[in-house]
Amino acid sequence: MPPSAAELSCKAAIVGVGETDFAADYRAWRARGPGFEPPEVEGLAACAFERALEDSGLARSEIDGLSVSFLYGGPTAPEVAQMLGLKPRYMIDNGGIMAGPLPVACAAVAAGECDTIAMVYAVTPRSLARKFGGEPMAGTAAPPSYYYFHPWGWSSQAAHWAYIWRYYQNEFGATEADLGAVAIQLRNNAIMNSNAIMQTPLSIEDYLASRYIVRPLRLLDLCLVNDGGVCLIVRRADRTRHLRHAPVLVAGWGESKVRSKKMHTLVRERLAPQIQEAGDQAFSMAGMGVSDVQHFECYDAATIHLIGQFEGFGFAAPGEGLEFCKAGGMAVGSRMPVNTAGGMLSGAYMHGWNHVAEITKQLRHEATGRQIEGVEISLFSLAQTDQVHPILFKRGVA
Amino acid sequence: MAQRRPDRALVTAGDRMFWEWCGKHELRLQACMNCGEILWPVVKACEHCGRDALEWRRMSGRGQVVSWCTFDHDYYRGLLPVPYDTIMVELEEGPLFVSNPAGFTAEVIEFRKPVRLAFLTCEDAAGEFELPVFEADSGPRKALADVVVQSENQ
Repeated sequence: MPPSAAELSCKAAIVGVGETDFAADYRAWRARGPGFEPPEVEGLAACAFERALEDSGLARSEIDGLSVSFLYGGPTAPEVAQMLGLKPRYMIDNGGIMAGPLPVACAAVAAGECDTIAMVYAVTPRSLARKFGGEPMAGTAAPPSYYYFHPWGWSSQAAHWAYIWRYYQNEFGATEADLGAVAIQLRNNAIMNSNAIMQTPLSIEDYLASRYIVRPLRLLDLCLVNDGGVCLIVRRADRTRHLRHAPVLVAGWGESKVRSKKMHTLVRERLAPQIQEAGDQAFSMAGMGVSDVQHFECYDAATIHLIGQFEGFGFAAPGEGLEFCKAGGMAVGSRMPVNTAGGMLSGAYMHGWNHVAEITKQLRHEATGRQIEGVEISLFSLAQTDQVHPILFKRGVA
Repeated sequence: MAQRRPDRALVTAGDRMFWEWCGKHELRLQACMNCGEILWPVVKACEHCGRDALEWRRMSGRGQVVSWCTFDHDYYRGLLPVPYDTIMVELEEGPLFVSNPAGFTAEVIEFRKPVRLAFLTCEDAAGEFELPVFEADSGPRKALADVVVQSENQ
């Protein structure tokens, strides 16, 4: 990741955003009626790009940079450029999961490699029937950020969150119904977003009746699995006046990795040291403090993982995040709105790209039906099992 | 009869020595000869200080359960009958060790339940092996804090 340097702050802004039809595509996959063809990343990427280009109001010829992020495989950047009819002077195969790719693009823009870069991401884990635990599929390795202790049957992302949650329960006396409040809050948010996959209201009874995946975690504690794509168009900040929408400035970022005692850091500390370190970098780069944040988009691979990050950034004291959520504090219009489009738990599993898309809409003041009034600054946090990458965003002048 | 288990080789590279010690019913983890950090799973160099002089240090086999979970989802496609329990044991020496309970189930686990090492004969695609698991430690209960202080004084 490029350095968290103040001179890179607010040098680039998101000026276009496009998403595929998460909800409609999910329903089509579930139904798989006659003639159903599973989506491919090329088609999803093209759909998201065309929507982002239209949204930006820019001409195709103004796109002189291209970043591609196909987490589970896909075409190279030159192949995507040809497919989209672009002639970029800067191209990069740029990781996958959101946080990393955006600072890379911003640094390229700041360095003059390009003026306007299209960042394309698409995945099809549902159509690929991707497994999230057990023995690896042929030709694929377990994700390097996860420890899998196979001979004891301990694998899957869910297993990591399950150990965290059990430990948290013992440390703070929290109950399963307490955790259900997070799933319910994000479902309530999703219902205000027509492109969110989950649209049915969720009660605590529904939550407690949902099946366990890795006890004490239930199906509704874990993020969705769906196919889709997102495109962000990022442009030099000094060329964002008089565009169709208010620009969304990328103000700061940070990165901190767990170097030792990984299970201890993850399960007992819920990555608090890494959140602190990476957060300090991002806030310092942006010249902001945590009290400036008005909206938090959080990598919600699991309900308890959201709470760990929420507490880690200091939005609630350790052990108080669930009470904060139960009291409604994470709702739009309350103290700290979280994952206002439904996140990955009820919105769409787009590896953090959906969170940044939502920040773009919120900071433009165009999040119809769920707008946080007057929001100027949003924080995105990616936490994986062994690293944390926050990004700070600021509404620019239209 | 040996219990069928998922392949050991998938844990992490370079773990052959670990399993050889298990075959002798000893739980040994890598320890850094420079800074003393105990490392698990297997590493090539110390995660704490970066040195690569490591020794296989024998663990006492005593510890406490500090987290646990039960797999209801059949990730291993029938290889391990669900539901089954896993535990995270804080070994007396400090490291956290993911394992299975032997002779007890998740229903009776309380936070910091004392456990002690046992071995279970298992097999995978590469053949039979001894799997370190943990049984309830009903012996005289020694406060973990005292043990830590003792070992620090040595």
